[in-house]
Amino acid sequence: MRTQRQRKLAGVSVIAIAGMILAACSTTAPTAPGDDSGSSSSAESSGGDSPNPADIKIFMAPKFTGLAYFEVARAGGEKAGSELGIDFQYIGSDKPETTEQIATLTNAVPQSPDALVVSAIDGDAVAPALKEAMGKGIKVVTYDADAAADARDLFINQLSYELAAKTMLDAALLNSPDGGLVAFISASPTAPNHTAHVKIMKELIDTDPAYSSLSYVDTVQFAGDDATKSQQLALDLIQAHPDLKVIISSSAVSAPAAEQAIINAGKAGQVWATGFALPSSVRDFIKSGDSVAFALWDPAELGYVATIAAYQLVTGEITTDPGTVIDAGDAGQYTVLEGGEVQYNKPLMFTADNIDDFDF
Amino acid sequence: MSAASGVVARFGLAGGGAALRVRFIGVIVFQLLLMAVFTLARPRFASWDNLQSVLFTAAILAMAAAGQTLVVLTGNLDLSVGSIMGATAYVVFDLTGTMPALGPWVVLIAVLIGLVLGAVNGFLVTTLQIPSIVATLGTLSVYRGFVSFYANAKEVTVGELPPWTRSLAAARVLGLSSYVWIAVVLVIAVGVMLRGVPWGRELYAYGSNPRAAYYYGLSSTRIVVTGYIGAGIIAAVVGLLLGAQVGNINSLLASGIEMQVLAAVVIGGVSIWGGSGSVYGAALGAVVLATINNGLVLLGVQEYYRLLFQGLAIVAAVAVDALVQRRVLRATRRRSVGVAA
Amino acid sequence: MRRAIRAYAPELLLVALIVLAAMWSSTLSPYFLNAVNLLNSAQFFVIFALMAFGLFPVVVQGEIDISLASTLAVGAVLMAKMSVAGIPLLVGLAITLAATAVLGAVNGVLVAHFGLPSLAVTLGTLGAYRGIAYLIAGDAGVTGITPDYLLLGSSWVGIVPSSVILALVVAAGFWVLMGRTAFGRYSYAIGASPGAARMAAVPVRRIRVSAYALAGAMAGLAGLVWVSQYQSARGDNADGAILFVLTAVVLGGVSIKGGTGKTEGVLLATILLGTIQTGMQLANVPGTSQRLVVGALLIASIGAPRVVHLARHAWTTSRRRLSPTAVAQD
Repeated sequence: MRTQRQRKLAGVSVIAIAGMILAACSTTAPTAPGDDSGSSSSAESSGGDSPNPADIKIFMAPKFTGLAYFEVARAGGEKAGSELGIDFQYIGSDKPETTEQIATLTNAVPQSPDALVVSAIDGDAVAPALKEAMGKGIKVVTYDADAAADARDLFINQLSYELAAKTMLDAALLNSPDGGLVAFISASPTAPNHTAHVKIMKELIDTDPAYSSLSYVDTVQFAGDDATKSQQLALDLIQAHPDLKVIISSSAVSAPAAEQAIINAGKAGQVWATGFALPSSVRDFIKSGDSVAFALWDPAELGYVATIAAYQLVTGEITTDPGTVIDAGDAGQYTVLEGGEVQYNKPLMFTADNIDDFDF
Repeated sequence: MSAASGVVARFGLAGGGAALRVRFIGVIVFQLLLMAVFTLARPRFASWDNLQSVLFTAAILAMAAAGQTLVVLTGNLDLSVGSIMGATAYVVFDLTGTMPALGPWVVLIAVLIGLVLGAVNGFLVTTLQIPSIVATLGTLSVYRGFVSFYANAKEVTVGELPPWTRSLAAARVLGLSSYVWIAVVLVIAVGVMLRGVPWGRELYAYGSNPRAAYYYGLSSTRIVVTGYIGAGIIAAVVGLLLGAQVGNINSLLASGIEMQVLAAVVIGGVSIWGGSGSVYGAALGAVVLATINNGLVLLGVQEYYRLLFQGLAIVAAVAVDALVQRRVLRATRRRSVGVAA
Repeated sequence: MRRAIRAYAPELLLVALIVLAAMWSSTLSPYFLNAVNLLNSAQFFVIFALMAFGLFPVVVQGEIDISLASTLAVGAVLMAKMSVAGIPLLVGLAITLAATAVLGAVNGVLVAHFGLPSLAVTLGTLGAYRGIAYLIAGDAGVTGITPDYLLLGSSWVGIVPSSVILALVVAAGFWVLMGRTAFGRYSYAIGASPGAARMAAVPVRRIRVSAYALAGAMAGLAGLVWVSQYQSARGDNADGAILFVLTAVVLGGVSIKGGTGKTEGVLLATILLGTIQTGMQLANVPGTSQRLVVGALLIASIGAPRVVHLARHAWTTSRRRLSPTAVAQD
């Protein structure tokens, strides 16, 4: 751009282009060809006929792949998939990052699935992508970790937050029947379920006579589902509070890691870690007596129910109105509540009596 | 007489003597200051029970930092350390789960894994001349990808670990965890080797002035690759120890630890440009980080402030270190006559 | 003609790779070759592209900044908070850009005026700024963003999302900045030889600090895009994103030692990474394999020229023994 004239030309064309762009701005999304005809099985287009199951596509997207807990849920979803005869796919990145999950979901939409079954890392950040999916007629069912309520049709909550809190406190009391000081380790300050669990646990300890023997440390620690960090926090908590009795964590990575740390420090039997964990992770602790109880639910059944619910939404068998009943056959019947939440509510308490009954 | 000590003597920089000691003192002062502050705020901090716990939580990181020092001294980085740790832990303990007869041979397998993965890193950096930050960024993904693939989302549960590893993690000698003793032995061994063995001195020489080292006939390829192999072996063994400590191992073990390892190395006075610093400093850097974590939990401080505080500590440590380095450089320049550094 | 090809060799290689990747992706999934979908997926990479452009001058100068993702988080939560507080978009943007530029400038001052190693310094600020982001955001993060802040993420020009247009405009801006201004010339000079630059009366410190401040501002802008796309902001936003950004910059032909690299390269590299990632995700390729591919691509693309060189050398000097200490090009 040497000459004045060239520079003026450049400047003018830039302004002209900018003007044209601003003028062309619109807030309605462009539609891709063949966009909304993707779900060929939706009842509207076929005038109410029963759709062919083989044409129905359901994607399951966990927080990230590679975690055993989600694999168990996957097995449940696949079981539902094969029973129903649908096309069931498991998608996701193996990195526990929000942007990765959003990319996965964004790229799931053009594949025109009929439903998405999602466990959200960041319930607010995935909302726009999920809303886009819903706008295209895709049914969205969340499980395990919810997204923003207006971004999904149903939320299959493994345990209502109250039940989850009570279950963990019960497990704590099983470990330490005389009660005592309790500390909390959560995954992250922004995990809505963990935050809710802790809040309710604190309330229950304050108000419910059944838990009056317990007291708690107010500051919550965060381990980000990292085993090493969980251990360091567990050890530091024991040092910070010499009369600590129980460490409670909603994270299936943190709870067993904390227990192992306690064993390593030679404090097994004086302090316990408990909370939610896969039975395979804690079988050893329970059998050796270092730990008395951990809790969870059946992730396979959760995945099964979530997939069935998604399928029934797609075929129009159910709606999201409160009071609708989802019939999941052997897995039970569940009622839709206000706000689209479905409570699975079948907690499992793992103790020496029953730990061998579970194979996951 | 070796080429390396000749280089060191001629150019007056790097590993030996005054320079090392002054940098090291910086970290010690920092650590003592931290301890004083925490003890004042909460006297329980200074109890033996707490201090030995801090040392335990620092052990793994200290060993990993010692390994990383071998690479940083040459002016390079190894960002794949976390992936090597996780891969070794998972693969080895998965094997012991299915083949319990392996027994203590697992350590040898771990060493082999670390050797190979480290050698690949070294190859990429020397023969292919890929800048170390890029090469190890790539191997971080590739190694982690391999273990994810191998694991197929299964966990190695604590019950599958061989009993002797779990006893080791829980063992105590003279009131300190066995891991602390292992860390002490390992760090001292590496430190002694760096000072005493010719290769160690060559490492410092090369790191502080690669061009001069070249003119002296030192093989950069050999030095750098050996550094990476050493770091890889140490990372693998540390991974094994970490797996035994954690119990339930999934494919994401030690994911993201490279940042902490770098932080420990940097706080410990090891120069990122290479050529100076000691493993003792790096190990102490790990202790500093563990102390900060412990102190903040003791004081009931929220997580957010911990991140802030740790970050500021790193910047402070780097600033102090640079100050020290400049003083030393000025002093040695005065001593060695007419030599361009 | 040949000179042009040689001058643009890395960029042409990238273009070839993009074409290959696109072809591969279209075989992987029938949904790939669809303009609207592609542009939709492109939106996702705008944030990374902005950070990559911000990082670009810093790396050209021979330094690095790994704290950008944390700066983005600060920018995002600031924008979100101001939206909720009812502050108009442009005012909020100005404040955020100023704040993030200051954060970047802090890095710059520590590196340029105090002479601290940039990797170590930004390792520290990575944590410190992340902590600041958490402190501003609070526990649950920020939601309830007002529509004017969401405009960037929910408007289109024809079929092109506005955020993509923003990325292209920024790319053009950096092209001008690095290719046609004194700042750009000085940056390359500093990267090639800081000593020589200083002796040539280049205001090294000022240029360095400016580059870092600019990088911070870009991260702040990326924060706006984040808020507009994800309609929320939390302290842990973009945690870990810096690895992808660094990959894009390096893949784009910007030497980590400084002194070389073009804007086009960074843009093309981002497009390449985006194409591959989108293609794999549209085909529901397992996450593990995605990670392997990106890591291998990074190594291969940087190592390939050397492999070619070595192969050629071995071919032509099969008798002559090489000195193993080929270290002179440090």
